[in-house]
Amino acid sequence: MTEQNKKNNTDLRLNVPHKSAPDEFDVAGKSLSEALRISFIILKIIMIVLVIAFLASGFKTVGSEEQALVLRFGKIRGVGEERLLGPGLHWILPYPIDEIVKIPVETKVSLLIDSFWYHESESERISGQSRIRPNDPLNPLIDGYCLTRSEHQVNPTLITGMQGDSISSRQVESNGGRSISPDSNGSDYNIVHSKWQLIYQVDNPEQFYVNVLIPDVRPGETYLNVIKKGVTPLLKSMFEDTVVSVMVNYTIDEAISSRDRIPRDVKTLLQDKLDEIESGIKVVSVQLTQSVYSPQVKAAFEASTLASQNSAKAITEARTYAYNTISKAAGPVADELFAALHDETVSDETREYLWSQVAGTAQEKMSDARVYATKVEKDAEANANYLLSLLPEYRQRPKLVIQKLYLDAIEKIIADADEKFFIQTSEAAKDKEIRVQLNKDPLLKSEKIRKQATEGNR
Amino acid sequence: MKNIAITIFIVLIVVTLGLYLVSFQVRETECCMVTTFGEPTRRQITEPGWYFKWPFPIQQVHKFDSRMRVFTPEVEETRTAGGEPIIVNTYVVWRISEPLKFFNSVKTVRNAEDELLRSRIRNTQNNVIGRHYFSEFVNSDPEKIKFEDIQRDMLTELKAAVADAQYGIEIEAVGIKQLKVSEEVSKEVFERMRAERNRRAEAITAQGEAEKIKIETEANSISDELIAAAEARAKVIRGKGDAQAAKYYKMLEADPELAAFLRDLEALQKMLEKRTTYVVPTDKEPFSLLKGMPDLEPVEPNEP
Repeated sequence: MTEQNKKNNTDLRLNVPHKSAPDEFDVAGKSLSEALRISFIILKIIMIVLVIAFLASGFKTVGSEEQALVLRFGKIRGVGEERLLGPGLHWILPYPIDEIVKIPVETKVSLLIDSFWYHESESERISGQSRIRPNDPLNPLIDGYCLTRSEHQVNPTLITGMQGDSISSRQVESNGGRSISPDSNGSDYNIVHSKWQLIYQVDNPEQFYVNVLIPDVRPGETYLNVIKKGVTPLLKSMFEDTVVSVMVNYTIDEAISSRDRIPRDVKTLLQDKLDEIESGIKVVSVQLTQSVYSPQVKAAFEASTLASQNSAKAITEARTYAYNTISKAAGPVADELFAALHDETVSDETREYLWSQVAGTAQEKMSDARVYATKVEKDAEANANYLLSLLPEYRQRPKLVIQKLYLDAIEKIIADADEKFFIQTSEAAKDKEIRVQLNKDPLLKSEKIRKQATEGNR
Repeated sequence: MKNIAITIFIVLIVVTLGLYLVSFQVRETECCMVTTFGEPTRRQITEPGWYFKWPFPIQQVHKFDSRMRVFTPEVEETRTAGGEPIIVNTYVVWRISEPLKFFNSVKTVRNAEDELLRSRIRNTQNNVIGRHYFSEFVNSDPEKIKFEDIQRDMLTELKAAVADAQYGIEIEAVGIKQLKVSEEVSKEVFERMRAERNRRAEAITAQGEAEKIKIETEANSISDELIAAAEARAKVIRGKGDAQAAKYYKMLEADPELAAFLRDLEALQKMLEKRTTYVVPTDKEPFSLLKGMPDLEPVEPNEP
């Protein structure tokens, strides 16, 4: 618009505002309405886009490991199974009407707990060598541990296969009388250190969302990490509480050796506690990864273990000895035979059968006896037959027969003798004595003897 | 047409903005209360949903997170009924249940923990633990352990105490997460554990020794008994042999003298079979031959 037009407008408006300059108005109105029209179109497009974008913002994806709750005006929407959305694409009313809360239900989270472990400096942990001395106390502020009950009575299964340990149980129980303070009557306890691993997952998304404090997700954090951060203080406290409660029911030996029973108890009790406060958390597994006595008492415990091992070894050796001895005595059927000998109900046949199976010394004795019996009998028979066969000849020529038998015998004896001395008898040598030095064993005869003998002979 | 669309759009925006001013949402995880000109009204909301209020300067909404919180006070030393020191570390799971009371009394979580919970927990802890003997925490007889009961007592008592205080707080769980003894006592415990282990080692050794001797003795006696039994049987067998032999002795009665002679000869041979040194004068037969030739005359044959 020009300066001229403006002036005209001002002047004319007062008198005839509606009549003058229709052309100018028309042009101006036209361009204005044109501009308005275009901007309306643009606005409309923007509006449509906005509406579409607004509605599209209601599309939400739920990951495969997640389940989702929908809050409508802050309240969980739906009834029954509809309350939970499974994995996939879902459309909900856009903010601020509906809001989605995704809970990773399938993800199992591991939590390591070492608050029951004694304090270790960094260098000790790396080198694995503890500088703890037997007289060091445990500092309740930095050293973690559980109390375990002491033995009610010595566990008979302590030594493998050992039975009837009346001696030790009496001894150990007598120790119970010495207590460290008046109210600890029967409360002798031990100290045990342990490390645990807990694996959990969210089981009930609704309870979990409503009851468990999860901090808001800040940029740069994943939702899972935030959940871990939120759950850990609660879960750790409850877990520790459970461990303390369970451990007092076990003895130190059970705590160290029973890696199944204690975690099972902990799992059950922890789940009860978590259910009680409606946390919606499920304990997947509890593991007792490490469980040891304090380094302060290591020497004594090792000595005790060694004693057990030695004892067990001695017993094994004794069993081997027993087995060998008995086997040596009567062979594999020894035990059966022994039982049969002491059992009136065993029939004689069985007993005889067992005797026939006997080996070892017993068998040797009996076979010796059998050999003897046979020999004695055979000898007697042979002698008798010999006599009978000799008898007719003897009756005819007694002298010759006797002489022959006699000389045959002497011949054999002399032929078999290792050393032979023949002494010439004469009247002159009647009062002289001959000394022959005999070796104990004639097989070891020496030159000397032979010489003496020859001298003697002269 | 155009105008209607625009109008609707604008109205919608205005209404939405207006609703923001006069209404609010309460989520499942929250509870809230409303103040009018800063004054707390009696209105408190613990159910989730959509609620109306007067716009800002008139009414204001205060929201609180109603989910469970864990509070762990410092480690405390306390005494059992028997006066034995015991160190416990408790934790409390609590939540804001009545926003109005909470707002009126403490306003913030930190205040609640510092002002209310810490002292109430300490009291409860001292009271409950002070009522129980140490032997009820840990005992060689599992029947006498009342650890769970003690924790339950603590929960009941703390719940009551917190309810009395009217702070709008509810206790969900209480527990002892560390149960310890003082440094001095830990030394004594170690001393006792060592003594007990040593005693046990001795007992085990003695027991093992006894067991070993028992097994060996038993084995020896079984072995001896079996051998004795075998010997008895052997004797019987030998006796049978002798009896069999005796039958033949009768046959020797045909000429007892000859029999005796034969037996003597046999015995002599047997006895002198080996390692014999033989000393004999030469005037014995047949060594007389060594002295000189015999004087033999042939015997005239007695021809019939």
